[in-house]
Amino acid sequence: MTYQEKQNVVNIFSALVVTPIYAWLVFQRQQHGQFDLREDFRQWGIVFLIYIGISIVARIIIQIIFHIGNAIATQEEKIPSADERDKLVKLKATRNSYYAFTSGFVVSVIGLALGMPVHWIFIAFVIFGMIAEIIDNGSQIYYYRKGV
Amino acid sequence: MAKSIVQNHIRRLRFESGEMTQQDLADEARVSRQTIVAIEKGSYSPSLELAFRLAHIFKTPLEEVFTYDPKEDVPGKR
Repeated sequence: MTYQEKQNVVNIFSALVVTPIYAWLVFQRQQHGQFDLREDFRQWGIVFLIYIGISIVARIIIQIIFHIGNAIATQEEKIPSADERDKLVKLKATRNSYYAFTSGFVVSVIGLALGMPVHWIFIAFVIFGMIAEIIDNGSQIYYYRKGV
Repeated sequence: MAKSIVQNHIRRLRFESGEMTQQDLADEARVSRQTIVAIEKGSYSPSLELAFRLAHIFKTPLEEVFTYDPKEDVPGKR
């Protein structure tokens, strides 16, 4: 497995760990009545902003651990720089994740039109954001293995 | 994923250039070894810039590194 493939696996792992843990913590606070996300949309803004901060810090920590672990395992300290093929792979993967997130947005809007509660659109953003990230990294692994 | 319609002779040219390794070629062409592997396998068509760089490294015309068969470039064949 190449360095890029390993990094994508770590990114998928990060998406599957960080987002659900934070969502669970928010859900617990909601259950304990610390805030009401069904009515208070300002609170959603705060939840998302905190999530962005936590997500960035958590991913930096996970990446540092990955780099250290990879350097120990492979005896290679140098991080390979991205060449034209890496950039093309990233571009195509970003396109796929964009399609996934846009589809999620359209599904959410259809849900709203059909009478679903407004707070569901925020939950859909979180879910489809996570799916889009997994598709981004999964696509990169696919293109690295099958060709681009 | 469809194979590239552009064929290449990089493997042969590497061996004719003093058994140059994929890593040596990658370093000279300023790309990763995986990119050289993908080009040799035909699963990645390099940019024009990289193609010319490879030809320059082998000191040979571009058409000796890469060949294109128009008969293969038929709609629906790929």
